[in-house]
Amino acid sequence: MVSQKSAQDSPNRSPDKLESRSEAHEVKAATWAGRKRQSKSSWKPSADWIAPVTVGIVAIILWDLGVRISGVEPYLLPGPGLVLTTLVQEFPSLFPSLLITLKITVAAFLAAVTSGLLIAILFTQSKWIERSFFPYAVILQTTPIVAIAPLIIIWLQNNTFLALVVCAWIVAFFPIVSNTTLGLNSADHSLRNLFQLYGASRWQTLLYLRLPSALPYFLGGLRISGGLALIGAVVAEFVAGTGGKRSGIAYQILMSSYNLQIPRMFAALLLTTLLGVGIFVGMTVLSDRLLSKWHESAIKREN
Amino acid sequence: MSCPLLSLQNVSKVYANGTVALEGVNLTLHPGEFVSLVGPSGCGKSTVLRLVAGLGEVSRGSLDWHNREQERQLAFVFQDAALMPWASVLDNVHLPLKLKGKRLRPSRANLQEAINLVDLQGFEQSYPRELSGGMKMRVSIARALVTKPTFMLMDEPFGALDEMTRGRLNDDVLNLWAQKHWTVLFVTHNIYEAVYLSTRVVVMAARPGRIVDDIPINQPHPRTDEFRTSSDFNHYCREVLTALSHSETGSPA
Ligand SMILES: Nc1ncnc2c1ncn2[C@@H]1O[C@H](COP(=O)(O)OP(=O)(O)OP(=O)(O)O)[C@@H](O)[C@H]1O
Ligand SMILES: [Mg+2]
Repeated sequence: MVSQKSAQDSPNRSPDKLESRSEAHEVKAATWAGRKRQSKSSWKPSADWIAPVTVGIVAIILWDLGVRISGVEPYLLPGPGLVLTTLVQEFPSLFPSLLITLKITVAAFLAAVTSGLLIAILFTQSKWIERSFFPYAVILQTTPIVAIAPLIIIWLQNNTFLALVVCAWIVAFFPIVSNTTLGLNSADHSLRNLFQLYGASRWQTLLYLRLPSALPYFLGGLRISGGLALIGAVVAEFVAGTGGKRSGIAYQILMSSYNLQIPRMFAALLLTTLLGVGIFVGMTVLSDRLLSKWHESAIKREN
Repeated sequence: MSCPLLSLQNVSKVYANGTVALEGVNLTLHPGEFVSLVGPSGCGKSTVLRLVAGLGEVSRGSLDWHNREQERQLAFVFQDAALMPWASVLDNVHLPLKLKGKRLRPSRANLQEAINLVDLQGFEQSYPRELSGGMKMRVSIARALVTKPTFMLMDEPFGALDEMTRGRLNDDVLNLWAQKHWTVLFVTHNIYEAVYLSTRVVVMAARPGRIVDDIPINQPHPRTDEFRTSSDFNHYCREVLTALSHSETGSPA
């Protein structure tokens, strides 16, 4: 890095004495390209923020202008300012609902992670188990949750919370199972041979080879599954809400739309979205932390 | 010579997909030998090593160990360094002992000795991604050393390295071979490397994989750069090369 810098300061004096001119040119070009890339990457963290924030601000301004100019009624489309003031006003009534949804999401997510991990480990212990049960995991995944949620809510009539958790779990667990199974099976072939050679037990191979190999895949599954748990919870709450059962934030969205309190509905929607974004960011940070030392996805390479 | 360590008799290997990787291979290894396998890509060199290591069954013929004890003392250096990317150099080298239930602390001295032998002191806490290709290979060799093997299987360990590093590691392996009284079965694409290192060069041919020549290198060890430039060296290389080109044109029916 240091040598690169000095080469930039005095581009004619390259560190190694080069014979041919064309070679020297190539080196110069390479250093310049390197410098460009470098300066770009050092700006990257802020660019990561500035670009999307700018897009967001522009969108909000356009939204505001659109609402003002067209004179659309607030019960059809409230402006951003109205949504924000409603959010502040209604916060005491919305926040507890958000917490309920958060609880459902977290419970479903934790259930999905543990069950998904265990099922994936079970799958990799025997091809037969995987062959016999994987299709049913797929079926569970592809069945629309809106269609089976009413059933689950009726079956678990006296425990709405549990019913909602089950619905969200069904949506959230598949990415964990499929990703982790893939990860457990993708341990390096030579390393597997090495373990075999040193007489590693099944348990040791799982613990020291398969699970670490699966970690990046598992964390990828977590990221998807965290968002899906929230979506599952919201969908289930909607279904429960149409049946008259009180629950979390989605119930508030539903009620607000019934009562034509559209700004309140938007405020509740905003809260839900923020929760979703929060979950995603949390998972990303966790994943980067856990992989920071070794995995390509989390490493800032200097090439 | 003393009684053999291991002998393959008429060994054939057919993979599950029907590929005939080896046919009628006869090979006897004596303790203390340094045998190189050379041959075109796909001729079954790795397959021989894998069979010897017990990573796969012989389809026909037999593979006999003179002394079962020796079988448990073998170590395998894979073509790719095969390091665990999530573990530090120290933890990677510790792996074979860990799998035998030995903890890191009590075996620390043993690990350090292996790491010093391959000249990697100071990199104990580095991760594989922070190492160059040659350093990774050396970690892999250190890992093979910690179980104090007497029989080394090395599959093109230096195939991806530059000439300088390769030369240095060649000498390191020869030193260890002499010091620790190893038997080595060494796979390489490089004729010069094979001749420089070995007490015997075994030439293989492809489709089906078989042994076409067995050339003893009757030269004293330790070998030096003088040997590399001697006319004897040239002579041996030419002999191996001739055997190889014969095998490629497929002259033996
Ligand atoms: N697991 C496998 N399943 C099926 N065929 C295989 C398998 N492993 C190797 N083969 C086949 O067996 C033959 C010999 O392979 P092998 O890896 O032993 O060759 P090699 O001499 O080591 O080649 P290289 O020098 O390229 O490493 C090849 O034709 C290969 O396609
Ligand atoms: Mg090979």
